[in-house]
Amino acid sequence: MEGNRNMAQSKSKSGKVAGKQGLTLALFYCQNTPESGEGERQSLEQKHGSSLRLFPLPCSGRLDPVHLLRALEEFADAAYVITCPQGACRYFEGNVRARKRLERTRDAIEQIGLERDRLGMVMNTKESPRGLGTIAEEILDTIGRLAPSPVFATRKVAKEKRS
Amino acid sequence: MITAEQKPLDEIRGTIAPYRRILVLGCGSCVAECAAGGEKETGMLASALRMAAKMEGKEALIQEKTLERQCVRDFVILLDDLIHDYDAVLSLGCGAGVQAVADMFPEVPIIPALNTEFLGETRDQGLWVENCLGCGDCMLYHFGGICPLARCSKHLLNGPCGGSVDGKCEINPDVPCGWQLIIDRLEQHHALDRLERIYPPKDWSKKQGGGPRKIIREDQQR
Repeated sequence: MEGNRNMAQSKSKSGKVAGKQGLTLALFYCQNTPESGEGERQSLEQKHGSSLRLFPLPCSGRLDPVHLLRALEEFADAAYVITCPQGACRYFEGNVRARKRLERTRDAIEQIGLERDRLGMVMNTKESPRGLGTIAEEILDTIGRLAPSPVFATRKVAKEKRS
Repeated sequence: MITAEQKPLDEIRGTIAPYRRILVLGCGSCVAECAAGGEKETGMLASALRMAAKMEGKEALIQEKTLERQCVRDFVILLDDLIHDYDAVLSLGCGAGVQAVADMFPEVPIIPALNTEFLGETRDQGLWVENCLGCGDCMLYHFGGICPLARCSKHLLNGPCGGSVDGKCEINPDVPCGWQLIIDRLEQHHALDRLERIYPPKDWSKKQGGGPRKIIREDQQR
């Protein structure tokens, strides 16, 4: 499906495991976020390797719960979305919709025993808008408090056994 | 259209627990329109179930597919090539869809993932309302296009009752009084005289008095 294709296209090429705990963040962001052009995206991916996977969206309103779930299912310990400031969405209510979809997805993962905090949203501010890199660093710090996702626990145990 | 809502995940997980290979089967018709069982919801549910299985360390094969319509055999037959690769099908169709698939493939357990709710209208984005009971003998003409059976909480054919206050129903101030709506509409149509008539109790024999209903149209048959 489309979400998977985008994920595959955005996969980090460096393959290195970065991040303090080796956690992986799937970061969806509105392309109207400051300093979020292709150059910045590539440089962030190079810097963080496989711990950060970036998914640009034309508007955060394009985010669908299945994008977040697929990320958590396939590779991510946490998935976040960056939206435009309150009242500043180019398409009026994209960020409002993104928040509602995020909450619905949080409900779904909670029902299967995953922590709600594995999904999050950062709404930029009108007063001092931050760039993609700054917000990404903040989120990576925030998710550093999480344990590795239990979704991949059996896979990691199997790898350890093989090695 | 037929509306539905997804069952709680715990209940779904309980019903699929005995099976290892599961096809999560969506329906692209009514339940897609009410965001309960379309392609997106099927993807979400399958993804959540796969994660849950991984977290339990359970070996499970959970795949997904969405048919155009689960309640039409011409579409259900498309499962013929793949359904036997699975131990069970978790259907996000309405009750009619679940049964159509089960009738066509009786050897495979077809498990419902949705609770089928009512015949409804999409009134706004994310808002579906019940407005037809499928009684088999439509009386909408008499009531200005508003069904008292579906939209009056007491199903009164000779209303309103004494519980109508400021156009709202006594069961809940958020519920419009169906009979207020009927009177307003008939007034608009200058047809209040239709309410002079006393309507006898509804003849429910046309709903399910003769058992499960069916429609036969020879001109439509092969």
